[in-house]
Amino acid sequence: MTRRHLLACAALLLSMTGLDPALAEFKPTRPIEFVVHGGPGSGNDVFARALITIIDQEKLSPVRIQVANKPGGGSATAAAYVASKRGDPHVIACFTNIWMLDPMVQEAATNKLLDMSLIARLVVEPALVTVRADSPVKSLADFINAAKEKPGQLKQSGGSIMSRENVVRQLLMKNTGARWSFISFPSGGERLAAILGGHVDMIIIDPSEAIEQVRAGKLRPLAQVSAKRLEGFPDVPTIKEAGFDIPDVPQMRGIVGPPAMPPDAVAYYEDLFRRVSQTPGWKKFIEDNQLEGGFVNSAETRRFLGGFEGRLRDILKEAGVKIVR
Amino acid sequence: MDIASGLLHGFQVALQPSNIFWCFVGCFLGTIVGILPGLGPAATVAMLLPLTFKMDPTGGIIMLAGIYYGAKYGGSTTSILLNIPGESSSVVTCIDGYAMARKGRAGAALGIAAIASFVAGTVGVVALTLIAPPVANFALSFSSPEYFSLMCLGLALVVLLSGPSLLKGLLALLVGLWLTSIGTDLFTAQARFVFGQATLLGGIDFMVVAIGVFAIAEVLASIEAGEEAKMLPVPRGIRNLLPNWEELKACRFAFVNGSVTGFLIGVLPGAGAAISSFIAYGVEKAFSKHPEKFGQGAPEGVAAPEGANNADSGGALVPLLTLGIPGGGTTAIMLSALVLWGVKPGPLLMQDSPDVFWGLVASMYIGNVVLLILNLPLVPAFAQILRLPVYILFPIILGISIVGAYGASGRMFDIALLVGFGLLGYTMVKLKYPTAPLILGFVLGDAMERALRQSLMMSQGDLTTLVQRPISAIMLGLAVLILLLPLIGRFNQARVRAIAEG
Repeated sequence: MTRRHLLACAALLLSMTGLDPALAEFKPTRPIEFVVHGGPGSGNDVFARALITIIDQEKLSPVRIQVANKPGGGSATAAAYVASKRGDPHVIACFTNIWMLDPMVQEAATNKLLDMSLIARLVVEPALVTVRADSPVKSLADFINAAKEKPGQLKQSGGSIMSRENVVRQLLMKNTGARWSFISFPSGGERLAAILGGHVDMIIIDPSEAIEQVRAGKLRPLAQVSAKRLEGFPDVPTIKEAGFDIPDVPQMRGIVGPPAMPPDAVAYYEDLFRRVSQTPGWKKFIEDNQLEGGFVNSAETRRFLGGFEGRLRDILKEAGVKIVR
Repeated sequence: MDIASGLLHGFQVALQPSNIFWCFVGCFLGTIVGILPGLGPAATVAMLLPLTFKMDPTGGIIMLAGIYYGAKYGGSTTSILLNIPGESSSVVTCIDGYAMARKGRAGAALGIAAIASFVAGTVGVVALTLIAPPVANFALSFSSPEYFSLMCLGLALVVLLSGPSLLKGLLALLVGLWLTSIGTDLFTAQARFVFGQATLLGGIDFMVVAIGVFAIAEVLASIEAGEEAKMLPVPRGIRNLLPNWEELKACRFAFVNGSVTGFLIGVLPGAGAAISSFIAYGVEKAFSKHPEKFGQGAPEGVAAPEGANNADSGGALVPLLTLGIPGGGTTAIMLSALVLWGVKPGPLLMQDSPDVFWGLVASMYIGNVVLLILNLPLVPAFAQILRLPVYILFPIILGISIVGAYGASGRMFDIALLVGFGLLGYTMVKLKYPTAPLILGFVLGDAMERALRQSLMMSQGDLTTLVQRPISAIMLGLAVLILLLPLIGRFNQARVRAIAEG
């Protein structure tokens, strides 16, 4: 055997033992930190803990996964924390739309979602356009017409100006030329109380919040903010089906890692959450919370968010929000 | 199901041994959570939520609710003993509670807090049992103008909290209003007063401000006053550690006031327990025959806010259980817990799941008794803490303060803020500025600003909307009256003096 042969064999062996980056497999060796941008009990916290419960039940992870609450500044504190863990394969975070929005409008929020390692999109949260059940408005078209008759007089209750409800309102107003006002309330309870008390005329609300009010005959759903009809509301048209062709504005939750996370670690987590999304526990969670499942992988998530960011920026600019980057 | 048979059914559910056990566990955990500053009921309920998935929903909600209302019992302990508010709803308790402790009546203050909590907590549950549906409709009739006027009424109480100088009180109030405006504005998504600090985008945590200006400032001022020589008096004998007859008699009205104010404000989804405790304290002082004793250790000043924050729990469950509307952080988590267990919280809860509704209501009667039994024996034990020499006591206060501020958010930045607020509070004490108005402004300012902007957006900029709605007009009128009273009083004094001299 010549020396050249020896070298070739060595090279072959090396590649087989996994030192070749393409074949290397990441395995977590210490507990994984799962960063969420809200305090205990916030929507994301509950979501992350539900994921961990499923992972534990199905024994999908060899190491413990711990929630790390990083509240403050919407998502800014959590995003800054994740960004500071550059390249760390033992840190993941739960992102939502706000991770994309905060850097757009806040000077102090400097860490962009697209600069991080996107791992997967896990759920899309649909919503329902609803009015009080005793309202004369029976369809979304009725509402738009009523708003046209009294420009600026009808009111919608919702969250922040950056919330999806406001983005949908902007798109509908642009599409139809109708105008109505958007009243911000900090908590879901206050938004709901404002419509049930008759102080506002319309609300765009999570199906899980709406379903009991609809069943009790307090609210009437007009349309769904979702790509296809929800199982719980087979008779309610989507906005498109109701005749208003506005772009899709998905409210997402997904998983992201620090910037420059090694590709094998990204692949590991992508696979982990793909397996989570196939468990019965996950399917039950999706059903109980009236969410739209549908795992989307890393590359696809990045491609979608790349286009979505520009669209959101334009919509918010039109809504009068000051954009900083 | 009518109320009597519903409640009877509820007691059958709640008196099952397992449910009594869960009720006890909840109340016990709640008391501990209440005593520990920084660890709030919302965080505790959220962390225990996964453990309850396998439980029966009735037992689960009984336990979680126990944590919720139990925390209000325990919250007064550190307020009274150490001037550290245990919960946001126990901040006002610091004012007269700590003053009582300094006079050697710590045990009495703790006892009064426990009794007021029991009385008002029970009244709150009775009201929840008897009048939940009509009261829920009253809550829904409150729109933004009413919330604005309610907050104005609360702010007008600054007059009662500001001590000798109204001007200094108003200045402190303005600082509080400014501090609460720090952070991201909900309406425009613009950052206000964050100075490029991403950590400030979410605003400043209420507990950090309260612990800073009360506890840290007090420790600094006491050290300067050279108090290491003398210890706080703690009377010996169990009898002297419990409230005496005069003190209880003085609290008669406060028990009623706390119950009614707490319950009514509790049912409003846009107002929290902290607001109800402030307003109950203000009402108590406004109607008192000797308002000058407030702040110097008036037992009513402990009974009214402690009662209010407990009646508030009963009130807050009204919109949650009859309408499916959560009024605050903890009730919102309880709502999602019900969803996770497969119970459908909403207007139909009472008829669909009578076990859950009536079982929970009945368990709260039991829970309040459990809490009284748990808390009263602790009173003499806790009062002993003040026997510690100051060179041990002050480091303990500082330690608990820091853990409390850190525990609320888990950020080191909040400890830096705590130091800053401690120094601010110390400066205020030195310059004889009252600190309570600052806290009042901080608690009410945010909600007041929002309500005003919402009202004006709803009315398209028409300010008269605030006085056209009757409830709003009445509350604004009361606020104006409270603000004018001292002026009239001063005018009257001047007139009397003029007559005497003339």
